[in-house]
Amino acid sequence: MNSSIISKRVIFTIAITSLSIYLVFLLNPEGALRILINLLTFAGIYGLSAIGLNIHFGWTGLLNFGHASFMGMGAYVTLLLMPHAAGREGEVTTTGLPIIVAVFLGIAAAALFGLLLGLPAIRLRGDYLAIVTIAAAEIFRLVVRDLESLTGGVYGIISYTENLQKFRPEFINNLSLNYEFAPSQAWVGIIAWISIFLTLILLKRLNNSPWGRALRAVREDEDAVRAMGKNAVWLKLQSFMLGAGIAGLSGVLLAFNYGSLETTVFVPLLTFYVWAIMILGGVGSLTGPIFGSIIFWVIISETDRLAYIFFENANGQQLAGFRFLLVGLLIMLLMIFRPSGLLGKKEELLLDVK
Amino acid sequence: MSNNLLEVKNLKKSFGGIQAVDIKELIFNKNELTSIIGPNGAGKTTFFDLISGFQTADSGDVFLNGGDITNSQPYKIARMGMIRTFQLTKVFDRMTVLENLMFSGSSVKNDSLTKSIFKTRKQKNYERDLKDKSFEVMEELNISHMANSYARELSGGQKKLLELARSIINNPDTLLLDEPLAGVNPKLAEDLLDLIQKLASGGISILMVEHNIEAVMKISERIVVLSEGTLIADGTPSKIRNDKNVIEAYLGKDDE
Amino acid sequence: MLDQLGNGLLLGIIISVASVALSLLYGVTRIVNFAHGEVIALGAIATLFFSSPVDYRVLFLDKFSPLGINFALSCLLAVLLCGLFGGLLELILFRPLRKGNVGNIAVLVVTIGLSIFIRHLYLLFATGRVQNFPLELERRQTYLFFDMTPRNLKVLIAGIFVMILIGLLLTYTKLGKAMRAVRDSEELSSISGINSDNIILITWISSSMLAGLAGVFQAIINDVRWNMGFLILLLIFAGTVLGGIGTSFGAMVGGFIIGILVQVSVGLPFMEGHTEAKNAVALAIMIVILLFRPQGIFGQKERIS
Repeated sequence: MNSSIISKRVIFTIAITSLSIYLVFLLNPEGALRILINLLTFAGIYGLSAIGLNIHFGWTGLLNFGHASFMGMGAYVTLLLMPHAAGREGEVTTTGLPIIVAVFLGIAAAALFGLLLGLPAIRLRGDYLAIVTIAAAEIFRLVVRDLESLTGGVYGIISYTENLQKFRPEFINNLSLNYEFAPSQAWVGIIAWISIFLTLILLKRLNNSPWGRALRAVREDEDAVRAMGKNAVWLKLQSFMLGAGIAGLSGVLLAFNYGSLETTVFVPLLTFYVWAIMILGGVGSLTGPIFGSIIFWVIISETDRLAYIFFENANGQQLAGFRFLLVGLLIMLLMIFRPSGLLGKKEELLLDVK
Repeated sequence: MSNNLLEVKNLKKSFGGIQAVDIKELIFNKNELTSIIGPNGAGKTTFFDLISGFQTADSGDVFLNGGDITNSQPYKIARMGMIRTFQLTKVFDRMTVLENLMFSGSSVKNDSLTKSIFKTRKQKNYERDLKDKSFEVMEELNISHMANSYARELSGGQKKLLELARSIINNPDTLLLDEPLAGVNPKLAEDLLDLIQKLASGGISILMVEHNIEAVMKISERIVVLSEGTLIADGTPSKIRNDKNVIEAYLGKDDE
Repeated sequence: MLDQLGNGLLLGIIISVASVALSLLYGVTRIVNFAHGEVIALGAIATLFFSSPVDYRVLFLDKFSPLGINFALSCLLAVLLCGLFGGLLELILFRPLRKGNVGNIAVLVVTIGLSIFIRHLYLLFATGRVQNFPLELERRQTYLFFDMTPRNLKVLIAGIFVMILIGLLLTYTKLGKAMRAVRDSEELSSISGINSDNIILITWISSSMLAGLAGVFQAIINDVRWNMGFLILLLIFAGTVLGGIGTSFGAMVGGFIIGILVQVSVGLPFMEGHTEAKNAVALAIMIVILLFRPQGIFGQKERIS
C-alpha cells in the first residue's frame, strides 16, 4: 500500500480546492462572500448527489443516467407533504407534516423509486441500463409536468421555504447583516454540508461492514458471489436504493435553495452535472465528490464571465449554454486522460461493460 | 426420500445446433468422490453449469437431495449446500485474502444492510468469530501468510487454494470442483489432491471435473465419462481404465 | 387516431433512418453513441447554413452569412459533411480510444460528454431560435389513408428508397458482408483478411451520412433546433431496441413502429391534453421490451445481463 502516493493525491486535491476558493475572492473584489456562500451551497448539494451516484457507479458499477429523477422524486414528495402553494392558481395547502417527517418520506420515496426502476433494470447489461435510466427519468419528467393538479405542472410549487427557514438560527441572521450574504441560502448550505458529513460517516461504516464487503464482492465477480449462496441482484438493488435515497435528500435541498420548484430543474443536464462532478472528484472515492463539486462550481461560475468576453452578441440562453459546453468538454477530457479524477484509484474503476 | 445426492434425468442443452449435453440418467451418491472426465468439448463444464444453475437446460430435470432444482437460481442452489468452483478462478481481486474468506463465511443474514448500519455487540462478536474461522481455514490450506494481501497478488496456484478455502469455510454438503488442478504445479497438485481426499473422507460429497487422469485415478471412488455431451462410461477407476469406449473417445479426439 | 397516421409515417421514416445509422455503428463498433443525435442535427444545421439566403441572419451570432446554395445541393453537401465529420470522429477520437484499450463504459461516457459539448456548440453557432429551411409552405393533401404535404410525401418515399438501398447493400455486397463479419467478430474477420480498421471507418462515415440524412428529413418535416438531436435520441434508442440492437433490418422496422406509435398515441383517450407525453409512451414501450424481450423483434439472444 503506497501511502505516500495516496497522500500526494490528497494534498494536491486540497491544494487545488483551496486555490479555487481563493480564486473566487481574487476574481470578485466585491461581494466575494455572497458568491462564495452561493457556490458552496450549490457545491454541497451537488456533492451530496454525487456521493449517491458514486454508490451506484463507484461501488456497484451501475450506469445510472437518470439520477436527476431520484433527486426530483425526493424534492416533490417532500414539498408536497408540507405547507406549500402550487399550480397556475397558486393553490395553497396549509396543512402538512413536520419537515423532518416530510424529508424522511421524501428520501424513502426516492429509494422506493430506485427499487421500482432497479427491479427490472438491474439485470440488464451496462449500456442498456444507461438507456433505461435516461428513459425512466424522461418519463418521470413528463409525468410530473402533466400531473398539474398534484405537482403544479409547469407552474411549479412555491411558498415552501418557510418550512425550513423558520428553524434558521439567529447567528446567521446577525452575520448576514454584517457580511452581506443571503441568510436563507447560508442556512441551506449549512444543512447540506451537515448532511454530507453524516452521510459520509454512514458510508464509511458501511464500507467496512459485511454488507459493504458483500457489495464489493459483487463488483468483483457476480458469479462467484452467487456460487456462494448470496443474492447478487438484491445486493445491487439495495445499493441502488441507497444511492437513490441520498440523491433524494440532495433534491430536497436543491428545492430549498431555489425557493420555487419547476419542472425545468430535474432534467438530464442536472444528471450530467453530477456525473461530471463524480468523475472529477474520483470514482469510488468517498470524499472525492466534495472536492470535485467545489472545484467544478468554481469553474462553472467563473467561466461565465469568459463567455461574455468571447461571445459578444450572444444572448442569455447562449451564455448559459457555454457552461454546458465546458461540462461536456470536462467529462470527455477526464474520461480520456484521467478517468480516476482527483481522488479515485485507477484499479478501482470498472470501465468495461458488464 | 431418496438417498441420492444428485439425480439428473433427460438433461439436454444445445448451442446453435450443437448438442452440448444429452444425458438420459445419472445419479450421484452421497459421501462419494466422483470424477467427471472426458475429452475436450465433452460438455463437462456445461454439465456443471446446468446442475449449479449457471445455465438453463433446454429440457430435463435435476434433483438435489430429492428436491427439484432444475433451472433454479445459482444462489438458491448454493444455499441448499452445493458450492462450486470455476475453471478460471474467480477470486475477488481487489479484496484481501482475509476479506475474500470473511465474505464467504458470513451468513446471508449477517450481510444485511440494516445490520451493517446498526452494529450490535452480537455482530461484533460474529465478526470476530468469522475472522477466527477464516484464519483457521487459511492455515489448513497454508495461505494464512497471505491474509492481508490482495487476491490479485496471489500466484495461480494460491488463487486455486483461495477459491477452495472460500468454498469450504461454510462446511458445505456438496462440492463441485471444476478443474481444481488446472495449471497448477505438480507439488501443489499433490497437496490439493490430499486436501480434496481429506475433505471427502470428512463427509463432503465431491464431484470433480478434471483433465489430470492420473490424479483422477488416484483418488476417485467413481468415474463418470462424458464424450460429446453423452455418458459413455460409469464405474470404478479400474473399470474405466480398461473401458474400450473411453479409450476410443480419448484417442479419437487426439487424432484430430 | 387515424389523422395522426401521416405524422406517424413521417416521424417513422426519420427515426427509422436514424435508427439504422445507430444500429450500423453499434453493430460494428459496439459503441452506444450518445453523440448520434448531434450528427443528425449537423445534417439539418449544415443544410440550413448552405441553403439560407446570403446575409440572412441565422448563424454564429450573426457573424457568418449563409451560402445561398440550391436546396437540393445543400442537402447533399450537408450529408457529405456529416460523413466527413463521422470519419474524423473515428480517426481523431474513437480509434485512439479503441487502440488504447479504453473500456466500453468509458467510451460511452465520452460520447455523452461529446454530445453535450457539440450540442451547446450548436447553441452558440445556430442560436436557440427555431428555424426553418428556405422552402415554400405547402398544404396538406390526402393520399390513400393519410395526409401530408407533397414535399413530405417525397421525403417519405426518398427515405423508404434509401432504406431499401441500404438493405440491399448490406446483404449482397462484399462491403456489406465484411461489415457483418466485423460485427460478429473483429478477430475472426481480420484473420480472413478483412481490415477491420477500414471497415470501422467506412461504417462511421456511412452511419454519419445516414444520420445527417435523417436530420435533413426531420428539418424538412419539422424545423431546425439546436437540440433537435437530443430530443429525438431517446426515440431512436427506443426504435433500435424494439427492432433488435445490432440488426439493421430490425432498426428499420423498429424505428418506423416507434414513430407511428408516438404520433398515433396522441389520439388515445388518456392522452388528451397531455400530448407532449407522447414520447413517454414510446419510452415506456422500450423499457417493457428490454424487460421481457431484450433482443427486440429481430435481434439475436445475446447476453443481455
